[in-house]
Amino acid sequence: MAFLSNVDPKKLRVYGLVGSVVGIYLGAILNSAMDTNVFSFIGAIAAIFAVIMGANAVRRVCAYGIGTGVPSIGMLALGMGIIAVMFGLSMAETLGSVLLGPIIILIYAGVFGYIIGVIANKVIKFNIPVMEEGNSDLSMAGAMALLGWSFAISGTLGYADILNDVLMTGYIAIIFIAGGLAILHPFNANLGPDEKQDRTLVNAVMCAGIAMITTGIAAFMTQGLAAGLLQLVIGFVIWFYFFKMYYRLVKRDASAVVGTGLLPPTVQ
Amino acid sequence: MNFDVNTIVYILEILIGGLLVGIGVHFVPVGGAPAAMAQAAGIGTGTVQLAAGSGLTGLLAAGLMMSVTDNLWLILASGAVGAGIMMGSTMLTGSWIYAYAVGAPFASAKVNYDPITGFSQPPYVAPGTVGQGIPTICFVSGLIGGMMGGLGGAMIYYPLYLINGNAALSAMFAIGIFLVNAVIASWNIQGTIEGFHDPKFKKWPFAFKACAIASILLAIASVMITGGA
Repeated sequence: MAFLSNVDPKKLRVYGLVGSVVGIYLGAILNSAMDTNVFSFIGAIAAIFAVIMGANAVRRVCAYGIGTGVPSIGMLALGMGIIAVMFGLSMAETLGSVLLGPIIILIYAGVFGYIIGVIANKVIKFNIPVMEEGNSDLSMAGAMALLGWSFAISGTLGYADILNDVLMTGYIAIIFIAGGLAILHPFNANLGPDEKQDRTLVNAVMCAGIAMITTGIAAFMTQGLAAGLLQLVIGFVIWFYFFKMYYRLVKRDASAVVGTGLLPPTVQ
Repeated sequence: MNFDVNTIVYILEILIGGLLVGIGVHFVPVGGAPAAMAQAAGIGTGTVQLAAGSGLTGLLAAGLMMSVTDNLWLILASGAVGAGIMMGSTMLTGSWIYAYAVGAPFASAKVNYDPITGFSQPPYVAPGTVGQGIPTICFVSGLIGGMMGGLGGAMIYYPLYLINGNAALSAMFAIGIFLVNAVIASWNIQGTIEGFHDPKFKKWPFAFKACAIASILLAIASVMITGGA
């Protein structure tokens, strides 16, 4: 199976950025052009591209061992991401064009992540060669994933709408943790000497499917039955398909899969 | 946005808040996975979880106080006490498990005598481990760290709320700033620390510099956002 195995990180970054930006724009333009909200699910699909890029950045940086556990870097990615998202959307609103938002978010996230990487290497003295670009990737991935899911819940890229539908309702907490799960969990679950890129990234897509199910449930409340149900069904299909694929890969990489049976009867 | 002297004050408040979070992490006895197996002193989880826990409790306490008063000192005190209570209760219930379920005597491997109680430590450190449980010195250090984290969280939340007037937005932004500073500080201590008596505590100037740079950048972004329609 050649899906996602041994992909060059540069290529994966291009896929991630282009996929997420194009997806979010496509969803936003289709939604406003057709005056509907059934295309909101494209935002959650766009987030999958960002998640793949982020999970790959986590496995590159954490392969060096950062001493604080993989979750810390995932939370950092989401922390940088949420600030970039709110900053970019607010700036786009101030400048008067909603469609500028994703570009401003991407630029701020990339630059800020790079600076955090430089700080980690020069001030904290990590000396991890891929730290700068890894953190830059992570920051952009966290921001685009959060933006994609926020769009999936609210249906527009307008700052006020996202504030009202995603932040004030508290759904941001769900996508924050579901997003953290999708970006940090794959490497945390698969790390070790036999870690393989395809197994880790398939796990990431699977977690992004779970995140899509949760955004579908949230979209029920904010956008109504059609948009919510569509996301829920597509998310479930993605999760189910990639769960089966992940299980196949686990069986491929495991030395043996055996049943342990029930506990033996008590012996005196 | 209008750029005036207030904006500079807000930036400084967010900067100080970020630094308090970064330094506060160094006080918290983070034991990580070894402590979860009672093979190292401290609380058995990672820095980010502890810092986020105390910081979020501090945010909630500060936000609650902010809904009744706009006195800065009361809000800061409420945030610090809230986070201190969260950290204290975590350490207390954790101690019960170490004492009554694991059955380990509390001892620190980093000092020969507990600086607060004066008790001898080395005889109680099990061979092959670096201390167990949460000794008095770690508990006191953890309380200080938790209160600093809560103070920092409240210090970030207060100016953000004044800028944009939106509680949910301010809270999410404060969480973002909080997580960035906590992760940078936890990288500096490489995952585990016992408290202010630990030799690793002397590395705090690195975290101070790193958190200062990161907080300034975040503060500039956060004074530019608006609260929406």
